[in-house]
Amino acid sequence: MKRRALPALAFICAAALSATACSDPTAGDSGSSSDSGGKQTKVDPTARLDGVKLTMWTAQNTVNAPKQVIDAFEKATGAKVEAQAIPDPYEQNVPTKLASGDKPDLMFWQPSISTLPFIQPKQNLLTLDGEEWESKLGDTEKSLGMIDGKRYAAIVTSPSMLGVYYNKDVFKKAGLTEKDFPKSYDELLALGSTITDKTDAAGFYEAGGDKWPLQWQTQVQLTDLDKQWWADLNQNKEKWTDPVVVDAIKKYKEKLLDAGLAQKNYKTGTFTGQADSLWKGESGMVLNVTSFQSQLQAKYSTAEIDKKIGWFPIANSSATGMYSPDQTNGVVAFKTGDEKRQNAARQFMAFWLGPDYPDYIKAMKIPSVQPSVPTPDGLPQASKDQVAALPTAIGVFQAKAIVAPDTHLYLADMLYGKKSPQQVAQAIQDQFAQVAKAQGASGF
Amino acid sequence: MADTAIRTRTQKPAPAKGRGRKVGRLPRAAVHHPWWFALPAIAVFAAFFLVPNLLNFYYPFTNWSSYHPDIAFTGLDNFKTIADDGSLLRAIRTTLVYALLAAVFQNGFGLLLALLLEADSRFNRFFRAVFFLPVLISALATGYVFQALLNQDGAVNGLLGTNIPWLGSTTWTLVLVTVIHGWKWMGLSMLIYLAGLKGIPGEMLEAAKCDGAGPWRTFWSVRWPMLAPALTFNVTTALIGSMNTFDIVQATTGGGPAASTEVFNIYMFRIFGQGLYAQASAMSLVLFLVVVAVAIPLVIGLRRREQLL
Repeated sequence: MKRRALPALAFICAAALSATACSDPTAGDSGSSSDSGGKQTKVDPTARLDGVKLTMWTAQNTVNAPKQVIDAFEKATGAKVEAQAIPDPYEQNVPTKLASGDKPDLMFWQPSISTLPFIQPKQNLLTLDGEEWESKLGDTEKSLGMIDGKRYAAIVTSPSMLGVYYNKDVFKKAGLTEKDFPKSYDELLALGSTITDKTDAAGFYEAGGDKWPLQWQTQVQLTDLDKQWWADLNQNKEKWTDPVVVDAIKKYKEKLLDAGLAQKNYKTGTFTGQADSLWKGESGMVLNVTSFQSQLQAKYSTAEIDKKIGWFPIANSSATGMYSPDQTNGVVAFKTGDEKRQNAARQFMAFWLGPDYPDYIKAMKIPSVQPSVPTPDGLPQASKDQVAALPTAIGVFQAKAIVAPDTHLYLADMLYGKKSPQQVAQAIQDQFAQVAKAQGASGF
Repeated sequence: MADTAIRTRTQKPAPAKGRGRKVGRLPRAAVHHPWWFALPAIAVFAAFFLVPNLLNFYYPFTNWSSYHPDIAFTGLDNFKTIADDGSLLRAIRTTLVYALLAAVFQNGFGLLLALLLEADSRFNRFFRAVFFLPVLISALATGYVFQALLNQDGAVNGLLGTNIPWLGSTTWTLVLVTVIHGWKWMGLSMLIYLAGLKGIPGEMLEAAKCDGAGPWRTFWSVRWPMLAPALTFNVTTALIGSMNTFDIVQATTGGGPAASTEVFNIYMFRIFGQGLYAQASAMSLVLFLVVVAVAIPLVIGLRRREQLL
């Protein structure tokens, strides 16, 4: 038996390997799929689609997001839309499924230039230029979902806003009012100082344990970098080790963390801890995106939130907000090769952002992405302030750079004294260059 | 893994008709299993174990990523990248330290429990089962439970009245995570050691007692050497198994703080998540080689020790 085991094993190996043929199953399709570069047929949002079946992928936190529009669409057109939830981490599992040849008709995806390349939009997605709803979008919303001048994503919900949530009681105790709202990052730090000195609350709550919120303090300081700088960064002409970036990181470390403006356990702070700390008044301010607010909205009523928590925007040298597109904002449609389903998918988007839109935002209680459709009532004042700040908002780097490096991981290393600000910037640059090279971006 | 005996066809098959079957001979049917009975198992084995392992020798040398559909050969580029940015050495060091500590704790706790619960009383039997329960719990669930307990505002600090950042130390968090790993798997070690202890011939222990050896002397000079086979098994599985750790680390620290607990699998998970599949495969290949490099001398050494003792 021993004599036969080895040759048998070798035979099995050879047979198995030849069966896999070591190649990406999606590679063959790229040639055959038609390039919808020419004018696409116009879609009528409520035309009958009996017998058409569409699949839509959602993440775990967007499972219920398309429910209202799917029900309304099925009723209006007779089509069947099946929503499938892909387990977290969404942005990892989706490319894996796509690589194995599995494709939906529609799916939620972050409409930013740093995340769309993951799913190879030129290869896989329908272009949506010139769709009816495109002109109805607000200015900021219109800039999302575009790669190389072509539109690949429909913007269905308002992008997250990055700003400062503050506890009104702590502010009152520190003697701060609306006129003290900062107009620059330095003024924000000064506010933090005032809170730390005049009250027993911490100026800021930093989540060093969960890490991802750490990036915001540095991001706010990068808003003065102009479009040209980002374009150069994306072509390897500028680097993340630019003095502006390094100084921003340094300021965060020296003027905020080392100066004691953050809560005592900032090295192990968590996202949920942030919400509790701000609500209880143990911290005065939290710099984070709208998902922070969702935590509060899940626990407390709008009236309670309005009473205790306020919001104001901040950028490096102005009181401008920043927007952060995420997976819940964008919907993409796939080139499945089936003309009927492709048009049905486009029709679904046209329906969502067209006839159904007012009902949709009313049911979901979310801000509107179309200036012509007013935001529904019942939202906290903070949400209303964010809607007002969106048109002039500046994008976070995820919306400007072709790769979104894990800045929060390197900042966390700095919190533990393992990296200096210069080394953090270098690590960001290394990762950025590596992934840009894998993407095949020019200049890398 | 226990070796399964492979039957050889050296014995003469019994007479077909079964007449005058001699005592001690097995009927033909029991000896004669057609080779193709094993095909379903081979198919599953090949598909889910063999093929991925073989492909792992190919993909690290390509530029496979989620950003383009073609897969081109790029030679040693991926290995150069992971060596240059220091992540290769760091991953090797962290994983080896983790494996060593986990093996020490797992075996230490297991041996202690086995010695304490050696006698066959009802009390002991009950507690053997209780201490075995963590082995059955999902590793991810264990990690999350401990993460909540060891949180700076969590139960452990609350109980002790301290404010220690258990999961926030770049030196000690790794040790703590290996303690958790050891806690989870100590039941298994305990069982093996119990079996080993039971296997020591009673006469040997009586002889030791007659010679006037106290409990510690008996343990150190008689029982410990006789536990060599159990030790071999436990140390090998603990060391090699914990090199492949992921769930507990991911749930408690996610590789932090400051990458101090970033073992191979955590690194691979992170790089895979960035869409750099070939680079993650390269790390996976390195892990395979490290495990082989550790396992072979380890098993040879321990087996030799077994034979000497």
